[in-house]
Amino acid sequence: MIRYVSGRLLLGVVTLWVVITITFAFLRVVPGGPFDRERRLPPEIEANVKAKFHLDEPVPAQYARYLGAIARGDLGPSFKYLGRSVNDILGDTFPVSAQLGLLALAYGTLGGIAAGLLSGMRRGHASDRIVMLAATTGISLPAFVVGVLLILLFAHTWKLLPPALWEGPSYRVLPAITLGLAPAAYIARLTRSSVLDVMARPFVTAALAKGVGAWRLALRHVLRNAVLPVATLFGPLFADLLTGSFVVEYIYSVPGMGRFYITAVTNRDYPLIMGVTIVYAALVILANLAVDLSYRWLDPRVSLGAKEADA
Amino acid sequence: MIDRRDFLKLLGAGALAATGCGRDAGPRRIFRMNLLSEPPTLDPNLGTDNVSLRVLTNLMEGLTAYDENLRPKPAAAQRWERLDGGHRVRFYLRPDGRWSDGRSVTARDFEYSWKRLLDPRTAAEYAYFLFDVEGAADYNAGKIDDPAKVGITALDDRTLEVKLARPVVFFPTVTTFMVLFPVRADVIAKHGDAWTEPGRFVGNGPYQLDSWRHEYKVSLRPNPRFRRRPANNGIDFFMVNERTVELTLYERGDLDFAILPPTEIPRFERHRDFRRTPMLRAEYYGFNCRRAPFNDPRVRRAFSLAIDRSVFPRILHGGETPLSSWIPPGMFAHEPAIGLGFDLDRARRELTQAGYPGGRSFPDVEVAFNADDERKLVAENLQSQWGEHLGVRVRLRQMEWKAYLREVSADPPPIWRLGWGADYPDPDNFMNMFTATSGNNHTRWASTEFDHLVAAAAVEPEPARRKQLYDEAQRILCERDAPIAPLYARAQNYLASPRVRGLWINAMDYLYLETARFAAGGDA
Repeated sequence: MIRYVSGRLLLGVVTLWVVITITFAFLRVVPGGPFDRERRLPPEIEANVKAKFHLDEPVPAQYARYLGAIARGDLGPSFKYLGRSVNDILGDTFPVSAQLGLLALAYGTLGGIAAGLLSGMRRGHASDRIVMLAATTGISLPAFVVGVLLILLFAHTWKLLPPALWEGPSYRVLPAITLGLAPAAYIARLTRSSVLDVMARPFVTAALAKGVGAWRLALRHVLRNAVLPVATLFGPLFADLLTGSFVVEYIYSVPGMGRFYITAVTNRDYPLIMGVTIVYAALVILANLAVDLSYRWLDPRVSLGAKEADA
Repeated sequence: MIDRRDFLKLLGAGALAATGCGRDAGPRRIFRMNLLSEPPTLDPNLGTDNVSLRVLTNLMEGLTAYDENLRPKPAAAQRWERLDGGHRVRFYLRPDGRWSDGRSVTARDFEYSWKRLLDPRTAAEYAYFLFDVEGAADYNAGKIDDPAKVGITALDDRTLEVKLARPVVFFPTVTTFMVLFPVRADVIAKHGDAWTEPGRFVGNGPYQLDSWRHEYKVSLRPNPRFRRRPANNGIDFFMVNERTVELTLYERGDLDFAILPPTEIPRFERHRDFRRTPMLRAEYYGFNCRRAPFNDPRVRRAFSLAIDRSVFPRILHGGETPLSSWIPPGMFAHEPAIGLGFDLDRARRELTQAGYPGGRSFPDVEVAFNADDERKLVAENLQSQWGEHLGVRVRLRQMEWKAYLREVSADPPPIWRLGWGADYPDPDNFMNMFTATSGNNHTRWASTEFDHLVAAAAVEPEPARRKQLYDEAQRILCERDAPIAPLYARAQNYLASPRVRGLWINAMDYLYLETARFAAGGDA
C-alpha cells in the first residue's frame, strides 16, 4: 500500500513537471508579452522592467530559475499585481474558490445521488421522468445561462438573494447552486443508470424474493454498488469545483481564483498562469489518487496496482 | 422590555449591518463604487492604470491637483514659481501637510519618491513622466549612477527645486499624476514591496487605507491627520469584473455610482441618475505609411476624407464627438476646423490621382483591430463606408489584445486602430506621440517639420503663439500627410445616486471623492 502510494506520488511529480514544462514553453511562444501595452514603453524602461523580472535572460535560464523556485515552493512574483507574489494571490483566492466548490460539490453529489437513486428505483414513474427532465436541463444549460436566470428570478424579481458579491452566507447560495447544478445533473443520470444495472443483478432478485423491503435494499445494497462509477467522476469533479469556475465567479463577482484562468492569460502574467495551472494539475493528480484508494474501500474486489492484480 | 417583534427587527438590522448591505439601516455615509478589477498596485511610483489611479488619487495627493477646469491647483504645494525662463521650477510645500502616521510631509519625501521613480531598479513603467528633468532619462537608462546628478533637489523641508532640461510649460500639471505622489523612504525600507498593505501603508491624502481584501474590496476611511475632513465617512471600492453586474448592484442600491456598459446606455439615457462627461480620450485609425498603397499620402487622405464621422455617436450611443483633428475637445488648442472632413468629391479625386480611379485595381488591404464589440462595430462601419464611398474593399481581422499590440508595434498592418487618453491635459501629450522618436508612433511616418513644431510648442509660454504652433502641426498630421485618421472623442457614461452630492468626474476620468456627500433624509 505504502509502496503503491509513494509510486503514484512520484508519478504525480513527473506529470506535474511535464505540465509545467509544456505550459512554460507555450507561454514563451504565444505572441504578445506581459509588458505590451497601449502606451508603448520607451526601450530603456522596457529593459528595466524586463531585468526586474529576469525576462532579459535566455529562455533556458528563465526555465531553470523557475524550476529552482518551484522546488522551494516559490511561485514567483506576479507581473500584473506588482509587489504581490503568486503564492499570496493564490493564498487569498484559493480558499474562496474551495469554499464555494465544496458547497457545490456537497450539494451536487448528495443531491445528484439521491435524485438518481429515487429515479432509478421508481423507473418509469412520474418522479423518474421529472428528475431526468431536470437532469437533462441541468446538463444542457451552461452556467452563464443558469446564473443569469437565477439572478433574474431570485435577485431582481423576488429580491430574496443578493445578485453578486461575497459578504454573508446568503451570498453563497446562488453561486453554489449555479456551480453545482451540472455536476448534480450528471451524477443523477449516472447514479440512475448504475442503479438500474445493479437492480438487474441476481443478488437483488434473490434479496427481493427473500422479502427485503425495497428502500432497505436500495440503501444497504444497491447504493453501495451504484456509487462506484460516481466515485470515478468524483476525482476530476473535485479538482474542477475546488479551483473555481471562471464563469460562476465572474457572474457573481466571487473573489476566487477561477477568474485567473482567463485574466492571467489575457494579461500574459506568466507566473500567475503557471501558478494556477500547477495548483489545478496537482489537485487533479491528488484527487485521482484519492479516488483509486477509495475504490478499494468501496469494492474489495478492486486491487491496487497491476502487479497485485496478477498475483 | 422589548417584545418579540422588536427583537426580530433588531436581529434583522444586525444581520443587515453585518453583511454591509443594509439599504435603509440608518445614515450610511460610505460611498460605494466599483473598480472593475483588483488595483495592480497601490505603490504610486509603480502605477500605470486607471484602477490604481482611482484609489491612489483619494489616498494621496501630489504637489498639485486638478481644479474644475483641469488646471493644476495647489495641493501638497502651496505655490510654485518658474525661474530662469522655465528651466527651474520651485515648489513651496504647505506647512501643515501630514502623513497618516502624523509625520510632516517634506520636500525630501518628494525628492525620494521622484528619484525612486527614476531608479532603474524600481523598473517603473511611467518613469518617463520625468524625462524632461535634467539627468532623469540618463539615470533611468543607467547611463549615470549618481542620483545627485538628477535635477531634483529638496532645498529644505518646504522647498523642492526641479531643473528642467527642456523648459516645458506644462510641468506643474504633470505633478498631479499618481507616479509623482510622495512616498516614504523609511516605510519602504521597513516593509519592502509589501508596504502597500493595510496597517503598513502611509499616505498623505484625505483618506487612509483601512482594509484591502484582494480581488474583492478596498476600503478607505478618513485620514484624521489630513487638513480637511472628507464630506463622507469613507469609500468602499468593490472589484466586480462585469459592468452589467455593477449595474444590477447599482439598481438594487448596493452601489452609489456605476459606469454604464455601452449596450445599456440607450436604456438609461433618460434616467434621472444618468450623467455624461466628455473625456480627453480619442480613437483613431493609423496607416502603415511605409507600405503600398498607404505610402502615398493621397491614398491616406482619400481614406480619411471618405469617412462620415457623424455616424459614430449614432452607432455607439456613448456620446462620442466626431473628430477629424487630433487634439480632443476640452483640451487647449483643440481646433475643429482642422482635419479632413467628409468630402466625397475630393476623396475620389485623391484616389484617382493616386492611380485608383473608382477604386479600380486597389490592392487587397487589411484593417486590423482588437476583438471588442465597439471596435468591431466601428471597423465594420468603416469597411462599408470605404466600399460605398471609394469603391475599395478592405478585409477585417480581429486579434486578441496583447497579440494585437505586439503586431501593431512590430509590423503594423496596413490599417489599424488605437486610442489615446490624456496622461496630462496638455496638447503635448497628444501631439508628442506622433514624433519620429516616440514609441507610440506606429505609423512609420516621420516629419522633421512636425517634430520641430511640437518641440517648440512644448516650451512656448505664450498661449496664442502656442496655439498657432499646434495648429500648424495638426494640419501636417491630420490634413497634409494624414498618417492617421482621427475618428471620435469619447465620453464617460455613468449613473450616480441622487443621494450623493458634490460628486464629479473630470475629463481625465479622475474621481476626487472627498467632496461627495450624502444628502440628508434617505433616498431622494
